[in-house]
Amino acid sequence: MMETLGLLGHGLFVVLTPENLLLCLLGAVFGTLIGVLPGLGPVATISLLMPITFSLDPIGAIIMLSGIYYGAQYGGSTTAILVNIPGESTSVVTAIDGYKMAQQGRAGDALAIAAIGSFIAGCFGTLIIAFAGPPLAKVAQQFTSPEYFSLMVFGLVAAVVLANGSLISALAMIFLGLLLGMVGMDVNTGAARMTFGLIELSDGISFVAMALGLFGVAEVICNLEDAATRGLNSSRIGRIWPTRDVLKSARGAIARGTLLGSLFGILPGGGATMASFSSYALEKRVAKDRSRFGRGAIEGVAGPEAANNAAAQTSFIPLLTMGLPTSATMALMIGALTLHGIAPGPNVIVRQPDLFWGLIVSMFVGNVMLVIINLPMIGLWVKLLQIPYRLLFLFIVVISAIGVYSVNNSPFDIYLMIGFGLLGYLLRKFNAEPAPMLMGFVLGPMLEENFRRAMLTSRGDLMIFVERPISLGLLIISVLLIISIALPSVRAGREDVFQE
Amino acid sequence: MKQFTLRGSADLYLGLLLLFISGVMYWYVSDLEIGTVRRMGTGFFPLVLIVILAGFGVILAVRGVLTKSVRVAPITLRPLLIILVSFVAFALLVDRVGLILAIFAQVAVAHFASDETKPAQSLLFGIVLALLSSGVFVGLLNMPVELLP
Repeated sequence: MMETLGLLGHGLFVVLTPENLLLCLLGAVFGTLIGVLPGLGPVATISLLMPITFSLDPIGAIIMLSGIYYGAQYGGSTTAILVNIPGESTSVVTAIDGYKMAQQGRAGDALAIAAIGSFIAGCFGTLIIAFAGPPLAKVAQQFTSPEYFSLMVFGLVAAVVLANGSLISALAMIFLGLLLGMVGMDVNTGAARMTFGLIELSDGISFVAMALGLFGVAEVICNLEDAATRGLNSSRIGRIWPTRDVLKSARGAIARGTLLGSLFGILPGGGATMASFSSYALEKRVAKDRSRFGRGAIEGVAGPEAANNAAAQTSFIPLLTMGLPTSATMALMIGALTLHGIAPGPNVIVRQPDLFWGLIVSMFVGNVMLVIINLPMIGLWVKLLQIPYRLLFLFIVVISAIGVYSVNNSPFDIYLMIGFGLLGYLLRKFNAEPAPMLMGFVLGPMLEENFRRAMLTSRGDLMIFVERPISLGLLIISVLLIISIALPSVRAGREDVFQE
Repeated sequence: MKQFTLRGSADLYLGLLLLFISGVMYWYVSDLEIGTVRRMGTGFFPLVLIVILAGFGVILAVRGVLTKSVRVAPITLRPLLIILVSFVAFALLVDRVGLILAIFAQVAVAHFASDETKPAQSLLFGIVLALLSSGVFVGLLNMPVELLP
């Protein structure tokens, strides 16, 4: 306890320089700015803004990234409430009651409660990381390659849960991602693999180009197809500071959402989405008058918003302690950290305490920034949403082109992004979700590396994965998970959750 | 805008797409050293993944033919092609004539992706975008790119 507080103090010391605070603020502002644009979810937003951090030192970059991450997450809630376009699946439920409130002229209440709920949940989630991270990392430090391999298999299987398409296509997307992750130089032999003879591909496919193509470009094209998207209906926001009554009725929902979200976030496999859906269901169940839901119930905004933010926070736990991303967004964070020469995993906590504790503190700071830029500055974001899509899409395509170009200063990455834009578009039309693909892509090289290492130590004996208890346990859970999703009864339940 | 609908189910096309990708990848992996499980070569892991991916392709294609699953949503070619071409325009021009003209070119092409755009607005917005990105990316972030030829 005291030790943790001392280390937190150390983190404060690292982060609280004027320069770092500015970076965090800038990150949160840019994150919100891009995240608030309709049709750009967190994955596209973060990959778009990531190149900005490349010139910074690792600590500054992480601090700015966390600002971007929060901004991007929260920006999606703003669009969900104001224009009924949820940026990603986690804010789908927020749109149900939030948008109704906006139509009734109570957008101010909804936005403020969402911000306050997110802030409380974010801070609570961060505390959990601070206390649970180091002991978990100690456990993970004993993992060797077979355990890591099984852990990643488990992470990928769990990722299937978050795709709300068919099980087979989600699994296929994971394998497609794994395969694309193999493109480039083989680390063990130095031989080029599947590079199509292109030198630009020898370092592998740029994941910024891939993420932006799949999630940004494809989205713009789809939005342009159905002409009747978007548009801010009511420009009346109402007062931004909620009354005591509103706060009182949201209090319980925020607390329940925070706890539920913190728990879900740790589990691999779309914690944040499941958390917000379950929180909405829970609020509906505990409410005295259920009929208010769907007609602008404040609890329907407060609970899910707190839940998805708590989960977004605690999903850093598997990432930081074991190097396991639990969602496409987290996979993106791994990519970003790797580019800065940081391999997320137990060693970060032990060997680079500056980084870990700096990150924890910048999470707190990021949450504060979020409230600052969202409550007083909400008018600005509303103005932004009033810009018609016929202009916004021009902004999005130009910024995407520049963003991708700036990673390596090469037009090649733009062509790559075009390819992935087309692929993302086709996948959407063919009813397959690209999110598991991104996870497979990031985990592919690590999966191969650990598999090869395990095979070297066991001299080619596959039994090594079932002889070790932790590895065996993870594999058993993975198999059970696949069976349970494939079973008709569970499948029906899963669809219910997504439809409700 | 004109739309067209593909016949058959989404699963069939997804399966065919996966088979196509695994075919292309196999072509490039086939000359790599495969090795054995004990001593895995460069091509071992990719080959395993390609085989599995192709397997999924077959399953999906067969399922798509046999069962009536979801159909492919209507496809509108215009925004698809024009948005992709607008990126090509930017990529071709940025190293040759500088950032500002590349942005103008991209906006000029992308303008035609929608029926709702208006020439005067797009032009004005293009200028704003060019100024803004020159200021932010080149001015603030020191991106090494020429602004003008």
